[in-house]
Amino acid sequence: MNYSEGELAFYPGCSLDGLGKAYKKSSELVSKDLGIVMNEIVDYNCCGATEVKTVSYDLSVFLPGRNLALAKEMGSKAVVAPCNGCVFSLGRANKAITEDEATKSRMNEYLGKAGAPSYEGDVEVKHIIEVIYQQAGLDAVRKRVKKPLTGLRVACYYGCLYTRPKIYTGAGSGERDNPEHPHFMDDLMEAIGAETVEYPLKTVCCGGGHAIADREVSVGFSASILNEAARLNADFVVTMCPLGQMNIEANIPMIEKQYGREIVRPVVYFTQLMALAFGHSRREARLADNFSDAGKVLHSKGF
Amino acid sequence: MPIHEKHLIEKQKIIQKDSAELEGRDVSGQWNIFIQQRILSQYHPSMADEIASTPDGRTINRCWQCGTCTSGCCMHTDFGLREFNPRYFIYLAKIGDEEELKKYKDVIWRCLACNKCVERCPKDVRVEEVIHAIDGYMRKKGWMDDTPASRWDDEYVGNVLKTGILDEIMLLRNYIRDEEMKEFNAGYMMRMGMNMLKTGRLRTGPIRHRTKGWKKVRKVAEEILEKDGYELQ
Repeated sequence: MNYSEGELAFYPGCSLDGLGKAYKKSSELVSKDLGIVMNEIVDYNCCGATEVKTVSYDLSVFLPGRNLALAKEMGSKAVVAPCNGCVFSLGRANKAITEDEATKSRMNEYLGKAGAPSYEGDVEVKHIIEVIYQQAGLDAVRKRVKKPLTGLRVACYYGCLYTRPKIYTGAGSGERDNPEHPHFMDDLMEAIGAETVEYPLKTVCCGGGHAIADREVSVGFSASILNEAARLNADFVVTMCPLGQMNIEANIPMIEKQYGREIVRPVVYFTQLMALAFGHSRREARLADNFSDAGKVLHSKGF
Repeated sequence: MPIHEKHLIEKQKIIQKDSAELEGRDVSGQWNIFIQQRILSQYHPSMADEIASTPDGRTINRCWQCGTCTSGCCMHTDFGLREFNPRYFIYLAKIGDEEELKKYKDVIWRCLACNKCVERCPKDVRVEEVIHAIDGYMRKKGWMDDTPASRWDDEYVGNVLKTGILDEIMLLRNYIRDEEMKEFNAGYMMRMGMNMLKTGRLRTGPIRHRTKGWKKVRKVAEEILEKDGYELQ
């Protein structure tokens, strides 16, 4: 389904203001090039991620619920979030509000007290990749490419909460991506000329939920994601989740120590590669933000 | 009697005799191994009801123990931590076996909330939420202490409630300091800090995005937490 101008609200979430700045800037470039207009939600708050819901169910519906209510007030029909965690908690709030009348009336009471508009759970939640894929379309992406990334092998890593679970994200129905075998990023990467590998760890967890609390798991999963990409001879791991990107990249020093330097691959956002293919410079795509040396890998491939 | 899949039975429950004689005949080839009977000593009939009455655990009674959640669980299968078995945790919670559940107090907090179980469950059990409900129940009963994950969540909630937006850098700094994690030494922190400073990503404290009118929302949030019996750290 296509949305006209003013119907898409953008929810940047917490990461994009700080550590995920490269994602924000490159997403802005790409969506501008493709003519996708999104209005940022003013005074948004944290969606609560997966942490708040272990503390209080009501708070974990109220926090994302407030953002959705604000988006609804702006006249939006869909909220676009670039982060898998945000897509999950916003979708979860929608489900909680629509499936249970008692929750809905409780939430509206809280929202009223907090000075936010009431909310019925009728704003759609979308990941930014779905908007680029559906709103602009693969043909428009192909047409826009100025410097195709021919010869670059990429492993597309979607992360856990992008389409999972389908009861929250609506995956697998209509035009949404497949929950077990997502393909939107692979298609986009092929459209900009890169070569994708048949990556088996597409939707595995990166351990980011316990990035610091459970180091054994977080380093272990990050290493296996990089190792699999190295085994398949990929140059980059491409991702769409700020937490996943940050988790894997920040673990690279430990992975080098434990598993050796040769399995390390730079982890970049799909919008960074798209911005490069659309003719923007490396500085504009903010490749220097990566802890691993993404620029060097590009250089060695002749870009 | 030969026992297939002996690894599934706890070691102390298996009794093995070197020889076994029955009416003067040696039968040890067949009959020298026994499994001790399992007796529930700590049994709480109310446990399942209490968990089912929480919003997180409301779907626990839909479970029909097929094990789809465990077969795909990233902790159980991908990471290989066989003791982490969501199906079994739900089973124990449903029969109310305190003694057995307590054995997993160092394991149950490690759920990463990847939601593969929720995606695949044929009975629409929100497995991941139920596991966290069981975890919360065990902590509330005092069967286990704070876990690294619960301390992280406490830090997270406190952080978000300050300004409405998560200050990642303060969260990381406080948690690493409080847990005294040696892995993140000065060298590592310098390397990461310099990169963030150079690329303008060290956005923390007053220069971080703030939610306008947060005070009012914060008050409501605190009310909700008080209602749910949670004390802000």
